[in-house]
Amino acid sequence: MSQSGIRPLVSPERRFLLVALLPTFFFLLCFYVYPMVFNIETSLTDLSLFGLRRGGDWVGVENYVEIFRSGDFRSVLWNTIVWLTIVGVSVRILLGLALAFLLNSPVLKRWRLQTLARVLLIVPWATPPVVAIVVWRWLLDPRVGTINSVLMAVGIVDQPIAFLAERLWVWPAIITIITWNTLPLVTLTFMASLQSLPDELIEAAKIDGATRWQQIRYVYLPHLKPAIVVVVLMSTFWTFNNFVYVWLTTGAGPGLYTNVMATEVYIQAFINGKFGFSAATGVIMATIMTVFGLIYLRVIAERELAEERT
Amino acid sequence: MSPAFRIGERLRLGLLGELAIVLGTLAILFVIVYPTAWVIVASLKTPETMFATGRWEFTLQNYVTLLGSGFWRNIVNSLVLCIVAVAISTVIAVNAAYAFSRLRFRAKRSLFASVLFGQTFPWIVLVTPVFILCARLGLLNNPLSMIFIYVAVSLPFSIYLLVGYLRAIPRSLDEAAIIDGASHLQIVWKIVFPIMLPGIVATATYAFLLCWSEYLFALALLTQDNMKTMPLALYAYFGENTTEWGNVMAASALTTLPTLLLFLPLQQYMVSGLAAGSVKQ
Repeated sequence: MSQSGIRPLVSPERRFLLVALLPTFFFLLCFYVYPMVFNIETSLTDLSLFGLRRGGDWVGVENYVEIFRSGDFRSVLWNTIVWLTIVGVSVRILLGLALAFLLNSPVLKRWRLQTLARVLLIVPWATPPVVAIVVWRWLLDPRVGTINSVLMAVGIVDQPIAFLAERLWVWPAIITIITWNTLPLVTLTFMASLQSLPDELIEAAKIDGATRWQQIRYVYLPHLKPAIVVVVLMSTFWTFNNFVYVWLTTGAGPGLYTNVMATEVYIQAFINGKFGFSAATGVIMATIMTVFGLIYLRVIAERELAEERT
Repeated sequence: MSPAFRIGERLRLGLLGELAIVLGTLAILFVIVYPTAWVIVASLKTPETMFATGRWEFTLQNYVTLLGSGFWRNIVNSLVLCIVAVAISTVIAVNAAYAFSRLRFRAKRSLFASVLFGQTFPWIVLVTPVFILCARLGLLNNPLSMIFIYVAVSLPFSIYLLVGYLRAIPRSLDEAAIIDGASHLQIVWKIVFPIMLPGIVATATYAFLLCWSEYLFALALLTQDNMKTMPLALYAYFGENTTEWGNVMAASALTTLPTLLLFLPLQQYMVSGLAAGSVKQ
C-alpha cells in the first residue's frame, strides 16, 4: 500500500460495477443456474412425488434411455418443433408482414386507417394469454361458439365442428389462438421498420421501372431484414418454451395428440409424479434451447455490443 | 411522393378497388378486436342474455358477484406481486443496462451473453426444481418466493430492452457529467433516468405484462385459494363441467383492463424497444 493511503482499495468504477451487476447475477444464479444444476442431478434419479423429502435413488442415464426409446417422445418432439414452433412462427411472421404492408399502403394512409389500426392492434397484444385462451375456447365451442354459428349460417358446414377435440382441427386451432395473441407485436414492429424506409428509395425504384413485386423483393425486404431476424428469433424461443397455450387450450389432448415438450415436463412431474423422468425431459428441452440460444447470441450480442466500438 | 404518382396510382386502382381494400382492412381489424371486445361486452350482460344475439340486458351484477366471491383477494395478490417485482427488477435492470452499455470491464461480453441467454431459457424446466426447493424450504404459498421468481424471469428481457434504449441516448451527456465529478450512480439516476424515462416505463410495462399474465409458476407454487393470482382464479371459474360464465367474463375483463390501459399510451416506445437496432430511426 502506498503511504498516502488515500487511494481506496476498490476504485469507484469497480464499486459501481459491483452495485450494478451483483443483484442481476444473484438472481440469475439462484433462479437459473442452481435449479438447473439441481435438475440435471434429479434427472439421474428416480425421484417421485412420494419420495420428495427422502430424495430419489440414483439410476444413471436410465430416464434418458427410456425417453429416447419411447415413440411418444418422437411425437412430442415433432409437435413442439414442427407444429408449435415452425408452423406457428411462420404463420405469425408471414401474416405480420402481409398486414404491415397492407397497413402501410398509400390507400390506407389516405383513408387515415393507420392510426386506427395501430390503436386496435394493442387490444390482442394487451390481452393476457389466459384470457385469450378462455375467449377462443368459447369462440371455437361446437355448441355455443360464434365461429360454428357463422360457418353454419353461411352454409360452409352442416354440423358444428369440435375444433379442439378433432385431430384434423386441433393444431390449426391452437395456432390460430397463438397467432391472434402474438400477431400485433410482430405487425407493429414491421410497421415501425417500414416507416423508417426513406421515400426516395421507393421513388427511385419506381422511376427505374421496378414492378410492385420487384420493389418488395429488392427494396422493402432488404430494409426489413434486421427486424425480421430479431422477431423470428424471439418468437421462436417464446413459442418453443411456451406452456400455457397448449396446456390451457387442449390439456395436451385429445389424448396426448398435442403434447409438446413443455406440457410433457409438466405432466410427468405434476400429474404422474415422476420428477426424475420429468427432469430428464427438461434437460433435453434446455439443451435444444441452448443450441438455439447460441445462434440467438451470435446475432443479438454481436450487434448490441459491436456498435459501441464505432 | 410526387402528386403525379399519387394521381397515377389512384387512377390505376380505381375507386372501387380502393373501397375494397378499405373494407377488407376494416374486416381484418374487426376480427382482431372482436374476441377481447366480446369479453368486455359480455361481462356487462346478464348470464341469460350473454350468448343470445340481439338481446341485450345491461348489468353490473357479474362484477358484484365476482368481487363478492373473493376475487378482490386475487386482484390484491396480483397487484402486490407484480408491482413489487416490477419495481425491483426495473431498478436492478437500469443499473445493469447502464454498466453493459457504457462501461468497459473484463468478461463483459460473456456476462452480457449470459443475461441474454436467460431470455431463451425454458422456464418450464425450472418449475420442478424451484417447486422442490420451495417445498423443502417451506416457501410454497409465499409471496416472497413469487416476487423473487417474477424479478428473475423479467430481468433478462428488461436488461435487453434497456440496453437498446440507452443506445439512443448520446454518450456526451454522461461524459460531461463525469468531468463534472459525478459518480456513476448519480449519472444513472439523475441524468440518464429522466431522459430515458419513457423507455424505462415501456420496459416496466413489458415486465408487468409478463408477471401479470404469468400462469406457470403461480400454478405450481400457489396452492391455497387465498394466495392465488388473477389468471389462476379466472381459469378456475372455467371449470370442466360447469363454467360460471358471469364470473369468467367479469374476471377476464378485469384482468385485461390494466394492461390495455398501460399499453395505449406506451405503444410507440414499446414497439421501438423490441426491435432496437433493427429499426433505424
